Amino acid sequence: MSLPFDKVFDARGMNCPMPLVNARKEIGKLQSGQVLKVLATDRGSVGDFQGWAKVAKNVELVGQETETEGGTSIYVHYVKRTA
Amino acid sequence: MTRPTTEIAWTAGELLNQLRRRQKLFVLDVRNRDEFEKFPLEGPGVSAINFPYFEMLESGGKDDMVDSIVACAQQDLANKLPRDLPVLAVCAKGGTSEFVMQGLQRLGYDAGNLQGGMNAWGNYYESQAILDTHELSIFQISRPARGCLSYMVVSDGNAIVIDPLRQLHAYLDMARARGCSISMIIDTHSHADHISGGLALAAATGASYHLHPYDAIHPMDLLPATFPYEPIRDGQVLRAGKHELRAVHIPGHTLGLVALILDDQYLFTGDSIFIRSIARPDLGGKSEAWAPLHTRSLRKLLEMPEQTTVLPGHFSTLEEADTGGNFQATLCDLKRQNESLLVLQRESDDGFVRYLLDSLPKFIPEYAEIKRVNTGLLSPAEDDAATLELGKNVCGLAQAQAAVHGESR
Repeated sequence: MSLPFDKVFDARGMNCPMPLVNARKEIGKLQSGQVLKVLATDRGSVGDFQGWAKVAKNVELVGQETETEGGTSIYVHYVKRTA
Repeated sequence: MTRPTTEIAWTAGELLNQLRRRQKLFVLDVRNRDEFEKFPLEGPGVSAINFPYFEMLESGGKDDMVDSIVACAQQDLANKLPRDLPVLAVCAKGGTSEFVMQGLQRLGYDAGNLQGGMNAWGNYYESQAILDTHELSIFQISRPARGCLSYMVVSDGNAIVIDPLRQLHAYLDMARARGCSISMIIDTHSHADHISGGLALAAATGASYHLHPYDAIHPMDLLPATFPYEPIRDGQVLRAGKHELRAVHIPGHTLGLVALILDDQYLFTGDSIFIRSIARPDLGGKSEAWAPLHTRSLRKLLEMPEQTTVLPGHFSTLEEADTGGNFQATLCDLKRQNESLLVLQRESDDGFVRYLLDSLPKFIPEYAEIKRVNTGLLSPAEDDAATLELGKNVCGLAQAQAAVHGESR
């Protein structure tokens, strides 16, 4: 499964809180309606993106999935800027 | 107003020392709510609040993490964070809380960071000597965040490990330090709250692995263990160097629970009698059938000599430790102080069974899964194993747990 997106932010190898802190900055650069695909190796990012999307303004978490790449789990988050 | 601050990094070991001294400590936990609720940092002097870091980020509204924390702390936390106590920032792995500590220090708080976060605290092991002579030594090896206790009995260059926990380094390091070899491993029962290190330690050392056969069957799935083991039987005597370890079958918490008595003096009770509580009889899903067995087994233990030293499988709060930091008590003291044992001594069997059934804590679904792991029916990856075991054990009865929660708030 893969969802449509406009830009990719690669946060693989980053530790908490950097995937979220940096993805948040990247979303600020998007236009309303665009989707950022975030790749992370930090397992904690799954719950953190869910929690963050609930409190952040103008942001919607449209999907999450886990891919496996050479034995490593990649946590993928699709975040849409809504306004 | 702003005092010069130094970076204060608390290791898990330093945290334990502070908690033992009942040091007053304020915890700002920035994990998400689920994690905080499942596994809060608890201790006699601890008060904690949860403010997830992503909410701090949004509330502070800055691009920079530390700037956001400063803004959020001024806006949302000014009335909550104490100025006269150390504030320990806590997250899952210790990275995010480092930023939180920096933000709080900028505002003049006496802030520290728990290094390695709750992962490090949850996986921290501590070893203490219960007895240490050149003839015989008993070490209590604990995982303080989870309230799990295991033991190593050393005599004549040989070590027996009782109820080893999942990470093996504590036992291997201890054996190396004492120049002894681990020759025998005993699980007093099939654990529900944590993954046993028994089989892995047996594989790593070549030691024999012992378990009562009734606990080599998953009580709900009714499926047999997938690994070989040496069956323990009631009354069996196992040699510990020059000393004797006698098994007593005490079904109740599990059907195959055994207590072990060393030299008629030290009683490893597994999950039966704890210092302030007793074990619950419902983790096999058959509380009404098992509660009467549990009652009879507990009575059998109370008949042992008054000066027997009880060495339990769990504790609920660090306050249960004696002044030396060990979790031990004489049977005589427990008969007078342990609330459930007081009930047992004054009630009939039927009355005590009713008491047990009225005191059951909430059933924890993960516990059936952990028993599958301990029966060899499942082999989770490290991350999943850690998630399964998250949080403090709930192997004791409800009243004891409630009392603990009441005290720590």
